[in-house]
Amino acid sequence: MNWLPVIALLIGFFVFYFVPLELPSDYAPYLSLAALSGLDSILGGIRAGVEGKFHVDVFVSGFIFNTLLAALLAYLGDQIGVDLFLAAVVTLGGRMFLNLSLIRRYYLTQWNISRQRDTERT
Amino acid sequence: MNLNVFLSSIRNNPWVTPVTVMALVLGALLAISLKTQQTIRSASLPSNRFSGLAAAYRDQQEQLKMANEEISKLRERTTQYENEMASASEKAKLLNDSLQEAKFLAGLTPVEGPGIEVILQDSKKRPPANSPIDIENYIIHDSDLQRVVNELHAAGAEAVAINGQRIIANTAIRCVGPTVQVNSIALSSPYVIQAIGDPETLASALNLPQGVLADIQALDPNMVKIVKKNKIQIPAYTGSLVFRYAKPVVATPGGSAQEEKENGSR
Repeated sequence: MNWLPVIALLIGFFVFYFVPLELPSDYAPYLSLAALSGLDSILGGIRAGVEGKFHVDVFVSGFIFNTLLAALLAYLGDQIGVDLFLAAVVTLGGRMFLNLSLIRRYYLTQWNISRQRDTERT
Repeated sequence: MNLNVFLSSIRNNPWVTPVTVMALVLGALLAISLKTQQTIRSASLPSNRFSGLAAAYRDQQEQLKMANEEISKLRERTTQYENEMASASEKAKLLNDSLQEAKFLAGLTPVEGPGIEVILQDSKKRPPANSPIDIENYIIHDSDLQRVVNELHAAGAEAVAINGQRIIANTAIRCVGPTVQVNSIALSSPYVIQAIGDPETLASALNLPQGVLADIQALDPNMVKIVKKNKIQIPAYTGSLVFRYAKPVVATPGGSAQEEKENGSR
């Protein structure tokens, strides 16, 4: 199992948590949505990786564009008085659950396979 | 050994490196987002309740406006009743005349007459870069309003109102957050100060060299506008008028009320 992304996530989190950098609170909802979209992209990337369908260009452009798009959509929704924010949260949340379950399934199968091999060897 | 595990995982899976890099970025995003949310939570209300609060605020303002209208209507009716009662007898008429005069002086009746309108608004300009002038100077403050009202009174203004809030004897003009409260009602720029009095005298009092507006006008002339008018209507005071501590002094024969009080406390 690959723990590198998780470790990098923690490093990035703690480094920026202690850097005195903060956005004006007006942008807080958009930033949260951008973070959520980023999380979705990462999970999507891991899923594509374990399924062997990973493409760097798709992943990187997807991460950047989705993050910006999510924030922009939420902003647009605020301007025209429609809660596009919720639409983004529902979509991203649903996809994150799907991706997480696929990743879990992949590693579970791997684990089962390796366990079977061990029992066969002994 | 541990490092070797990571290296082999990178070599075997080409997706690990880009995902790791982006995970770093995501960690940063999450951290900033969390910090911002924490500041919001500690400093003010949750951001997702703003729209609901705004609606409630609007409702309250609407109710306040209606209540104020109700007050002015009721006060008008009181005046009517007083006048009707006065028509009954000569003594009552005399009493009523002095009552109406007192109400007029206290600012409880709408008044009209010639005067001026002073419009003060926050400047649209910003201080030039590296300028020692603070941006605060480009905003109209409570002190500016106080000075203008004071100057108008000094120049003989008989009735003054800011954005429809009548200035009476115990009116306070104070800064509360981004707004200025007059009679405990929050007002914001542009501030329209109406004053009844001799238009020429009032206008020239405000335009004195080194006068109350000189500083602001030097910074940005657009912040101040003075208009002379032949007829200005100033509304009555609609706020609360309850005196809880002050009581009229009743003079007693054989000594002043003050002495009476002191004797009583001994």
